[in-house]
Amino acid sequence: MSFTQVARSCGRFAAALSTVRLSSALIHSQSRMMHRIAVPAISTMLTQNITLRHYSARNTMEEIQHRVLKVVCAYDKDASRGRWQTQSVRSYSAKPPLSLKLINERVLLVLKLYDKIDPSKLNVDSHFINDLGLDSLDHVEVIMAMEDEFGFEIPDSDAEKLLKPADIIKYVADKEDVYE
Amino acid sequence: MSTRRQAITLYRNLLRESEKLPAYNFRMYAARKIRDTFRANRMINDFKEIDRQVARGKESLELIRRQVIIGHLYTTDKLVIEQKKTLRPSDD
Repeated sequence: MSFTQVARSCGRFAAALSTVRLSSALIHSQSRMMHRIAVPAISTMLTQNITLRHYSARNTMEEIQHRVLKVVCAYDKDASRGRWQTQSVRSYSAKPPLSLKLINERVLLVLKLYDKIDPSKLNVDSHFINDLGLDSLDHVEVIMAMEDEFGFEIPDSDAEKLLKPADIIKYVADKEDVYE
Repeated sequence: MSTRRQAITLYRNLLRESEKLPAYNFRMYAARKIRDTFRANRMINDFKEIDRQVARGKESLELIRRQVIIGHLYTTDKLVIEQKKTLRPSDD
């Protein structure tokens, strides 16, 4: 049960209580008048009736609180048993924080998974074209894979300067404001 | 005259645009065709021929852009092979 629901039901309960109290007070005064005018037996019956009501309406705050809490607790237990999927999950819209080490690992993983790169030759400082034997078209694809991995676009003018994994790591770190 | 940089930009744009094609078969075909054609033509030295090929590439880019829009107007369900496999506890 959500907080607003609890508050609302409490409010309704309080409103009901106050109306009962009001009506009983009204009837009480009426019956007192009747006592003077009409038959006493009826009036005693009435007063009895009213006093009963009066008692039921005159709950202490603690009692009311106790009752409301009991209902709420029962509901909560029930809800937690049957409907666990309504439990709220916080989803953060921001990306997980990056560190230089993490960027390093991710860049190297992407490169390892690229089929034209030999993972055994791969090094942070190996040159894509001279050491790893890629051509400029492969280089474009590598940069595109990096864009997909880190989720931002690398313009062509920057892309042609990124000739080593170390360059990419540095570029991504600069872009994401990662310094450690 | 077309430069090396123009060709590379064209290659990149073609690949990026072809990724957007909604139909699996067209998407895969476009990616494969772009890669193969560029690789097959990378040794061309004749400038006229290069210009002609780059113009063809630009036409194809326009065509792919059109087809992306049309494809999104008439989408179909994804193929079975495109659907991501959901891991059930029984098979991991």
